[in-house]
Amino acid sequence: MIEPAAGLLRLALGLGAIFLVGYGFPAPTLPARERTRLEGVALSFGMGAVFITLWMLALALMGLPFSLPLILTPLLVLSGVILVIKRWLGKGRGRRSPTFIKTENRKPKTENPLWDWLFIALLALVILFAVLRAIFYPMWAWDEIATWGCKARVFFDSRRLDLSCIDAHNYYPNLVPLLLTYLYLCLGQVNDHLVKAVFPLWGTMLLVLLCSLLRRLGLNRTQALGTAAFFALNGTVFIVHLQLAYADLALAYFALGAAGLVYLWLKDQAPRGSLAVAAVFAAGMAWCKYEGPPLAGTVLLAAALSLVWLRPPGLGGRLLKLAIPASGLVAGYLPWKIYLIKHQIESGSDHVLNFYPGQFFKSLLFLPEGLFNPFHFGVLWPAAILALALCGRRLYNSPVIFLALFLAGNLVAIVLGYALAPTSAAEFPFYVRATLDRLLLHLTPVAALMIGEGLKEVN
Amino acid sequence: MIKAKVWLVRAVLLLWSVQLIWLTWHFAPEAGELVERAAGRRWGAAVRLEDPFYQWLQTLAEVIPPGATYIFVDDYEAGKEIEARYHLTPRKRVLLSPEVPASLLFYEVRQGKATFVIIRDRDKPPGPGVRAALDSPAFQRLDIPGPGLVLRVDYSRVRGEFYD
Repeated sequence: MIEPAAGLLRLALGLGAIFLVGYGFPAPTLPARERTRLEGVALSFGMGAVFITLWMLALALMGLPFSLPLILTPLLVLSGVILVIKRWLGKGRGRRSPTFIKTENRKPKTENPLWDWLFIALLALVILFAVLRAIFYPMWAWDEIATWGCKARVFFDSRRLDLSCIDAHNYYPNLVPLLLTYLYLCLGQVNDHLVKAVFPLWGTMLLVLLCSLLRRLGLNRTQALGTAAFFALNGTVFIVHLQLAYADLALAYFALGAAGLVYLWLKDQAPRGSLAVAAVFAAGMAWCKYEGPPLAGTVLLAAALSLVWLRPPGLGGRLLKLAIPASGLVAGYLPWKIYLIKHQIESGSDHVLNFYPGQFFKSLLFLPEGLFNPFHFGVLWPAAILALALCGRRLYNSPVIFLALFLAGNLVAIVLGYALAPTSAAEFPFYVRATLDRLLLHLTPVAALMIGEGLKEVN
Repeated sequence: MIKAKVWLVRAVLLLWSVQLIWLTWHFAPEAGELVERAAGRRWGAAVRLEDPFYQWLQTLAEVIPPGATYIFVDDYEAGKEIEARYHLTPRKRVLLSPEVPASLLFYEVRQGKATFVIIRDRDKPPGPGVRAALDSPAFQRLDIPGPGLVLRVDYSRVRGEFYD
């Protein structure tokens, strides 16, 4: 009884340290007065994960072994110093920006507390199920034991980025394996069922972030909670990924953060410093999955195109400001690229080959199946399309166009990606079926933001 | 217009409610199993011990030294080689198909300095490479009960400098 309790305590402390590292760093860019407490928690988890794992990569580049003191001490000290300096400098001055007051406090909090509790109960039920499902079963799914979990185990055993016994996908970015390695270091052993608690936690942070973004978009608490419940309880893909040690949930979380904050900024509803936080989330996208950099690229591209189309005052300056999230993308992409070059690891040859028109046309048929099959995402995607239609003129004369461009652009990118995949004609349908739901999962939280916009139209 | 929009939202919510019922039905068996496991305290490592393949791998882990290289003979699609790699790490492994020709098997043994060959499915008729290995004095069959065959090999006695 004592051993499992000690394991849980060690895990809780390890997870707590991720929040602490992430809590200090955004202080200079996104001050506490600009965000709600829950929002701060949801953002700091992702930022902590990015900083800890990038620091572990830096240790690997310096040839230093992974150890808890070496990983945590510099980051926690730096985070603490930033917090102290910020508090000392900011004492007695500073006000919430007008956007904070406008978005957070304008709407009445709730329509009916009973609905709030119902949605909270539904979400709590999903999370409870996912937590038990995650920590009761050791890693078993294909990519858990073939890639992410296997790497974490090897990195923990060797205390370094040892890729010698993994002969496929060595070039995949390592945010998730390194985070698992860090948690194994906290646990003091490879415990591949307890460590999976991090994934339902990650999903919870995604839901909190989604709720807070929806609140900032102008929805009241009932509507925000309802949209989050609608997102979480639609089809099986999100619920299944809450229990798996895959990188897709992490990428969906980072994509929501980056796209959501950039969208708020386009709408002039973002708290001060949002672009800097979006930059860290773009870094997280680039560092957690091979599909991350192009996905982050589409956030920037959609934002730039929206600005050019809408021509707001100070267009040039606003376009230039997109360099902030772009720098995050580079910061998340470059260190791993340098490592790959330094160790002569070839990247991407098993994903991209030639353009195959046959595959292109076939994937045009598979995509609607993935979007509208209720088994995958329930009625989420039809609802998102309906929300798009409900927005009417706002779709092309307001920043809502950003959401439409991001979603539509990525659907096109998925089809093009399949057209480049090096698979045989016989294998292709299996390849699509094994990957399409995951690729769509990366976009679904942003589709939920779209649904939130549609809901506003009905208000 | 607003009325039509409200009705559309209601229609979506109705579909969602139906979908919620289906979702509950879909996950009910898993939820039931969770309750059973919680009641019987059979979770975590205990789940793995229920798998005979895992138990066999644990036996192999006691036989194969951590620094050794092994050849795993199986189809990639079966998904068992990734399980073996996961549990036998840090031992290095080379995956070969059950239909591997003798020349390639011997070449991989020699070049990879492999000391063990694991054939995952002992009931499957052996391919040409495995047949040649079973006939070769460099390969010694180990008596380990389980779903597959395990051969110890002295790679220095294997000729396999070149494979075309």
